[in-house]
Amino acid sequence: LNAAPGRAPRQQVRFLPAPAPGGGGAVELVAARVPVLADHPLVRGPRFRKLKIGAGHRLDVKASGVFVLGIGHGNKLLTDLYNCHLTKVYTVGGLFGKATDDFSDTGNLVEKTTFDHITREKLERILAVIQGTNQKALLMYSNIDMKTQEAYELAVKGLIRPMGKSPPIITAVRCLQFALPEFQLEIHCLHETQQYLRKTVHEIGLELKSSAVCTQVRRIRDGVFTVDDALPRTQWNLQCIQEAIRNCQLKVETELEKTL
Amino acid sequence: RRGLSVAAGPPSTRQLREAEAAAPVFQYAGKAARRKDRVFVWGFSYSGALGVPSFVRPDAGWKKPRRIQPTPYRLETEEKISSAACGYGFTLLASNTRDITKVWGMGLNKDSQLGFQRSRRDQTKGYEYVLEPSPIPLPLEKPQQTRVLQVSCGRAHSLVLTDSEGVFTMGNNSYGQCGRKVVEDEIYSGSHLIHQLKEFDSRVVQVVCGQDHSLFRTKKGTVYACGWGADGQTGLGHYNITSVPTKLHGDIAGVNIIQVSSCGDCCLAVSDEGDVFGWGNSEYLQLASVTETTQVNVPRHLPFKIGKIKEAACGGTGNAVLTEEGNVFVWGYGILGKGPNLIETALPEIIPPSLFGWSDFSPDIRVAHVRCGLSQFAALTNRGELFVWGKNLRGCLGTGRMEDQYFPWRVTVPGEVVDVACGVDHMVSMVRSF
Repeated sequence: LNAAPGRAPRQQVRFLPAPAPGGGGAVELVAARVPVLADHPLVRGPRFRKLKIGAGHRLDVKASGVFVLGIGHGNKLLTDLYNCHLTKVYTVGGLFGKATDDFSDTGNLVEKTTFDHITREKLERILAVIQGTNQKALLMYSNIDMKTQEAYELAVKGLIRPMGKSPPIITAVRCLQFALPEFQLEIHCLHETQQYLRKTVHEIGLELKSSAVCTQVRRIRDGVFTVDDALPRTQWNLQCIQEAIRNCQLKVETELEKTL
Repeated sequence: RRGLSVAAGPPSTRQLREAEAAAPVFQYAGKAARRKDRVFVWGFSYSGALGVPSFVRPDAGWKKPRRIQPTPYRLETEEKISSAACGYGFTLLASNTRDITKVWGMGLNKDSQLGFQRSRRDQTKGYEYVLEPSPIPLPLEKPQQTRVLQVSCGRAHSLVLTDSEGVFTMGNNSYGQCGRKVVEDEIYSGSHLIHQLKEFDSRVVQVVCGQDHSLFRTKKGTVYACGWGADGQTGLGHYNITSVPTKLHGDIAGVNIIQVSSCGDCCLAVSDEGDVFGWGNSEYLQLASVTETTQVNVPRHLPFKIGKIKEAACGGTGNAVLTEEGNVFVWGYGILGKGPNLIETALPEIIPPSLFGWSDFSPDIRVAHVRCGLSQFAALTNRGELFVWGKNLRGCLGTGRMEDQYFPWRVTVPGEVVDVACGVDHMVSMVRSF
C-alpha cells in the first residue's frame, strides 16, 4: 500500500525573493507555487503504518464461509450494516444416527439410534413446523402493535423483522439434499450463532424420533455479501481486495439507504 | 515404580472409533410407526365444552379452575375421532367405528342437545352440564353395522348423520329445527326424545346446523331445510317456521350442490361448477351483491368473478370462500382478516397468500379448507398449518393472547392439523401427530 503512488503534495503560494531584473542588490518578491514541505514523503514518513480492520458477524472455528471485514472508514459502515438486521444464509450438513454432547460430529458420543424410518417427507414436515414457529417469533419480537393497519401491510409484504435484540430466529429452511444418513439444509436466519444451528440439527433429529449431528456449517450469504463476492485464500492480495471493495461499495450503499 | 499400572490418558482416535462402533443402538420408532390421531381443544371451559373436568372442578388441591384455555390442549379420547362439531357452549365428537358407542358429547345440556345423560345422584333426572366426553345413546336399528359419518351443532340442537339410518336430531325444537312438529310448552331439559329423519330423495351426505335451523344436503345435490325462517334462512320462499325438512328451489333448483355451510342466520351453498349461492340474513352485506333487502328467503346465485369456488364457509356476520387455486376471499362485516381498516365489504376481497406462509421460498403452499365460527375464521393449509383470525371471544382463537386478531395468525399445534370445528367461544381440532 505504501509503495503505491500517494496523494500529490499540497501546493501553496509563497512570495519568494528572486533577484530583480534591474541589477544586483535589489530583491523583488515574486509569487510562485511551491509544494508544502510538510507533505513531502521524507518528512511525513510512510502513509500507512497501521490499518484498522473490524470484523462483521461472528463465524466460529468449526464453521466456514463468508466473513465480512471492514477496513479504516469501512468500520462505520459495519455498525450500520449490523443495525440493518439482514438475514444470513447457511448450508448446514447433518448426519442421522448419532447424538454427541456438542451437537457436531467431533464431540463425545452420547447415543446411537436407528434412522431407517426417516423419509424426506417427514423431514420436510418438521421443517415446515420450524418455519411456522419461527414465523410467529418473528412477528412477536418485532415489537409492532398487531392491531394497526401498518402491521398488516408489513406482514403482507413479509418485511416484518425484529429491528433490535432478539433470540435467534430462522426465517426459512429448505432441504437441499437427502441421502440417508446424510442430509443438507439451507437455513436463512437472523441473530443466530453457529452453535444454535448445530443445536437445531440435533433437535430435528429428536423430533424425527432419532438423533442427528451437524457435520458442516457454511455461511453462503451475509446480508448483501455472497460467496461470489468473497475472496478465497489464493486471492488475499492488495489488488483483489481493492477490486472487491470497489465492487461492493454500490451494493452496500443501496442497502443502507433502503433500510435506514 | 514397577510400572504395572499406567494412568489412563485421553483416549486415542482409534480407541474412540472402537468405542463408537461398540455403542448400543437405540430404536425409538420402527419402520411401521404410525402417526397417531389426536384431538386438541381450546377456548372457554366453564360450560364444559372443552371436555376437561379439571378445568371446571379441579381434582387436586393445588389446581385452580381454568376459565379459558388460551392455547391448544390435548384431549385424551379412547377412540379415534373422525368428526367434531362445536355448538353454543357444547361439543360433539363422533367416530366412524362399528362399536356401540359412536358419539360423545360435552358441555351444555339444558335442552338435551347431548341426549339424555342420566345423573348418578338422581336416576330420574339428567345432567345439565356435561364436563367430560360422555357417550350419547342413539336409537339405531343395527348399532353394530351403522357408522356415523358426520355431526353438526347449532345453538341448542344437534344433528348426527349416519350412513344407512338417516339423520338423528336432538335438542331444542321450538322452531322445528329438529325436523319434527313443534309441541307447545315442550320441556326440552332431560328429554329422552331423539328424532330420526329418513324421508329425503336420496341419501343425506352432509348436515349443517345454523343457529336455529338445519340444512341437509343429499347425494343428488339437493338441499333440504327446516327450522326458524324469520330471516329467510330456510330458503323456502317464506319467513315462517318449517318443522319438516323441505326441498329448496330458487336458483339452486336442478343444480348439483356439493357443499353447504351455515353458522348464524345466513347460508351459502357451492355447486359442482364452482358457483356460490346464498340465502338468509343479509343485514351485514353478505348478499348485498345481488339484493338490497336484508332478508333473502330464496337461494340466489352470487355472481362473483373470482374463479371456480371449491369451498364456502358462512359465519355470523362475515363469509369466506376458497377458490380452486387455493386463495381465500372474504366479505361481510366484522374483522375480515385484512387489517383493522377493512370492517365491511359487499364484494369478496382476497387475503394475500403471503399471510398464509406463501413466499418465493415455499411457493406451493395453498389453503386447503376454510371454516367459520360465529365471529372467527379458520384456514387450513396443505402443509397442515392452522391459521385463525377474527374476534377473540374468551380465547377461542387459540393464539395464546386475548386480543382480537386482524390478519391470519398461525396457531401452534404439535402435529399436522387435519380438520377444525369452530364454535362461538371454543374450537376443536383433529390433529395427526408427526
